[in-house]
Amino acid sequence: MAQAIIRNVRYAGMASCVPRRVLSNIKDCPPQIRSARERVVRNIGIETRRICSEWQYFSDLAVDAAERLLAELAWERDEIDALIVVTQSPDYLLPGTAVILQDRLGLKTGTIAFDINLGCSAYPFGLHVLGAMMASGGIRKALLLVGDKAASVLEPLFSDAGTATALEYDPAAPPMYFDLNTDGSGYQAIMLPAGGHREHFGIQHAVPYKDEDGIWRSPTSLVLDGPAVLSFSTQRVPPAVRNLLEFAQCPVGDIDYFVFHQANKMINETIRKKLALEIEKVPSTLHDFGNTSGASIPVTMTVRLREALLGGKKKVLMSGFGIGLSWGSCIIDIDNAVFPELIES
Amino acid sequence: MDTLEQFVEKFKNAVDFQTDVDLTGETNLKTLAEWDSLAALGVIIMFDMEYDKAITGKDLVGCQLVSDVYRLIG
Repeated sequence: MAQAIIRNVRYAGMASCVPRRVLSNIKDCPPQIRSARERVVRNIGIETRRICSEWQYFSDLAVDAAERLLAELAWERDEIDALIVVTQSPDYLLPGTAVILQDRLGLKTGTIAFDINLGCSAYPFGLHVLGAMMASGGIRKALLLVGDKAASVLEPLFSDAGTATALEYDPAAPPMYFDLNTDGSGYQAIMLPAGGHREHFGIQHAVPYKDEDGIWRSPTSLVLDGPAVLSFSTQRVPPAVRNLLEFAQCPVGDIDYFVFHQANKMINETIRKKLALEIEKVPSTLHDFGNTSGASIPVTMTVRLREALLGGKKKVLMSGFGIGLSWGSCIIDIDNAVFPELIES
Repeated sequence: MDTLEQFVEKFKNAVDFQTDVDLTGETNLKTLAEWDSLAALGVIIMFDMEYDKAITGKDLVGCQLVSDVYRLIG
């Protein structure tokens, strides 16, 4: 495990943006699978999701979140020294989305801008990379844009969102603690096998096939090994959270909120029970917003904790886990930060 | 360790059958409409939380009867 302390960096604010379009897992699914879908909804705990309009992509949501955040912070565009985008829904295979957004957001050409390819574990990793870059003081203000466009009408799990987080150099800031891990032997558990270099897109990927429910599927769809992901999440995350608490010398009772990646209710409840956490300290947005991939931690903070976070200093433990396999947690003291209301674009 | 009857009750809850079913150790899993990937998730969690035993999807693929799942308790 990689454990680290980042000093001199303040969590200055965060904004979340979801599409206006609401998708019901019960009503918006083909009739032949509707009764089976009720059982799925009961177990995964996801009733409605957000899905982008035809013209809308992750970067559009992230830009809206960033614009609102910059406005509320009253930060000037030319003050931003770095822009990191963590997504698996880039606008293009090349170039990276951060590069495009540097221009679209009107940031100066002296901005460091690059992408990181991570999914559900994105948020703690992104905060660590950007925080480590800023700790020495060369970068004073920076943005982290995290999220994905992963929703589809047929699959009941994923939901779209884009988020923006602002960090600033501040020698008086309390330390941030991180515990970050990777196990690439599980890379096939969540995978988009077609379209890269190793299995480049060919005519065979253009031919849909009918699954056992009579639903047409695409060979370019995401492959997800549910049991493997569940075993990984429920076995790896609880000890990693304990390791982080020990590393930070932080009693579990000192944490005000535990914000976990919103995977599904079965996974999240198992993690919570294994750690013996009170349900009031573990907010969830699964029911209304589904699994918003790397954006799920910030979305849950915006939707469920905004008022509490605006109400004074809070110690928040965030934990993301998923594709890679990859899992990371961090403890961050949030005080006097900016949290705009949820943006619906 | 649970008896087979006690296990079957927990197994029913874990699979989340949509209608009540009579299960015995000899029930073939393939005859159960709800024996799917969602059921596998529920059973993996049940083993973890009730029996402190980590089983995998592959372990369940190797089971034909309810009693085969019961034997995974070890």
